[in-house]
Amino acid sequence: MPLFDYARASTIDEAIALLNDPRWVSRPLAGGTDLLVQVRHTKPNFQRLVDVSRIPAMRSVAREEGEIRIGAAVTYTELVESPLLCEHAACLVEAARLVGGPAIANTGTLGGNVGNGAACADGVPPLVCLDALAHVANSEGMRAVPVADLLLGPHQTALQPGDLITHFTFPLLPAGTRSVFLKIGRRNAQAIARLNVAVAGRLSADGRIEFVRVVPGSALPRLRRFTEVEDMLLGERPSTALFEAAGAAASRVMVAATGRRWSTDYKAIALQALVSRALRRVFRMQESNGTHAH
Amino acid sequence: MRIEFILNGEAVAVEAPPDITLLDLLRDYLNLTGTKEGCAVGECGACAVIKDGRLVNSCMVLAPQAEGCEIVTIEGVHAADGGPNDLQQHFIEYGAVQCGICIPGMIMAGEALLRQNPHPTRAEIRLALAGNLCRCTGYQQIVDAIEATAKGRRAQP
Ligand SMILES: Cc1cc2nc3c(=O)[nH]c(=O)nc-3n(C[C@H](O)[C@H](O)[C@H](O)COP(=O)(O)OP(=O)(O)OC[C@H]3O[C@@H](n4cnc5c(N)ncnc54)[C@H](O)[C@@H]3O)c2cc1C
Ligand code: FES
Ligand code: FES
Repeated sequence: MPLFDYARASTIDEAIALLNDPRWVSRPLAGGTDLLVQVRHTKPNFQRLVDVSRIPAMRSVAREEGEIRIGAAVTYTELVESPLLCEHAACLVEAARLVGGPAIANTGTLGGNVGNGAACADGVPPLVCLDALAHVANSEGMRAVPVADLLLGPHQTALQPGDLITHFTFPLLPAGTRSVFLKIGRRNAQAIARLNVAVAGRLSADGRIEFVRVVPGSALPRLRRFTEVEDMLLGERPSTALFEAAGAAASRVMVAATGRRWSTDYKAIALQALVSRALRRVFRMQESNGTHAH
Repeated sequence: MRIEFILNGEAVAVEAPPDITLLDLLRDYLNLTGTKEGCAVGECGACAVIKDGRLVNSCMVLAPQAEGCEIVTIEGVHAADGGPNDLQQHFIEYGAVQCGICIPGMIMAGEALLRQNPHPTRAEIRLALAGNLCRCTGYQQIVDAIEATAKGRRAQP
């Protein structure tokens, strides 16, 4: 007896019908790079996989008015190869570039990354940094949910059985905004060694920070923007001291939320360094002398 | 269920359960055992094949997902006379093969790279091999062999 059955959807409507067929407990299958690892270790809690990796409407990247739309079944390789994203979503492209090896990047999808809900998912901080909405379809219709609200905690999402993320949208960042993504740690190492951060920012004409978003991943039980850190940066001029202080503040936010654990000493130092480095890169500070480079 | 695809240039149709991986389909249902199983969880690259022109780990592809695709396995990589092709020959010459279990995946990763990028730098070769583990060679000779093949292919008319 096979452990589960397989069905391929060629349109979103077909996928929704298959996922909501009451005779089966079904789950979407995109690249399979999380699912096939899971079924190797644990008995599946579904009876059928619905393959959504070939639905054309879920595979494209496009600009629509002031928004970018990314199909949920777009792979990391396709993210990296998109000129539109290289221009408007540098942090997401950098995250995609750092995923796995080429074989994983050619298969794994952004929708699968969000759907899987891992705390260390590299696609998520960039999406939250871009203020992205996930567009979720089910038999009742469509709803748009901020990506941060979909993720309730490690491997817990707000997705219901029968839900399918069809695509993500985000508004274009204000002209002149730069964004970066940094990560440390190996995927397979203990969670202690995993941290990542997406940062976006822009300076005003007189050289003050007028726009900034700071989104560390794997730092809090529920991922969110660190507005405490953003608030202390807004209106200030970039300086090494400011960014060191911002990094330290990010660490304090993390420790306050998670409490002290065996991994805290390491993570607090690592997050501080990661956040201040990301800020220096976004605001193009030279690492050595701390001057602002144009 | 019936799965039909193009395997090493030839149409195949195979009856197989829906819950197995492409790796198992190749090895157990099509008797192509050149593709190796190392970790079976996407980490080692021993099972790498080329699917519609892109490198994938066949242990991370569900067999029915091969439907209608073009799959190239290590058995599909050879010279016109069936012997080793230039990449495989360079692996031999540069001492890039020891126990051999990683080699089918390494060759597929090398072929996938050279199809997309005929002028790879050494850094690009290393990135292309980022998902392929080798416990024997230390990688240096493998990078050398791919680099030599790239040079050789560029020199051809
Ligand atoms: C060797 C290796 C290295 C990896 N490296 C990284 C890394 O560096 N960074 C990282 O973040 N991840 C990494 N991963 C994890 C994985 O590749 C990513 O999370 C990937 O994005 C998952 O996408 P997928 O399409 O393969 O998901 P699948 O396995 O197909 O699906 C994952 C989950 O999401 C659900 N799902 C899929 N698509 C949708 C959808 N459209 N709507 C709703 N639910 C959906 C599925 O039902 C399932 O629960 C790695 C995995 C491996 C095996
Ligand atoms: S066996 Fe597929 S990656 Fe190791
Ligand atoms: S030659 Fe033995 S693992 Fe690579």
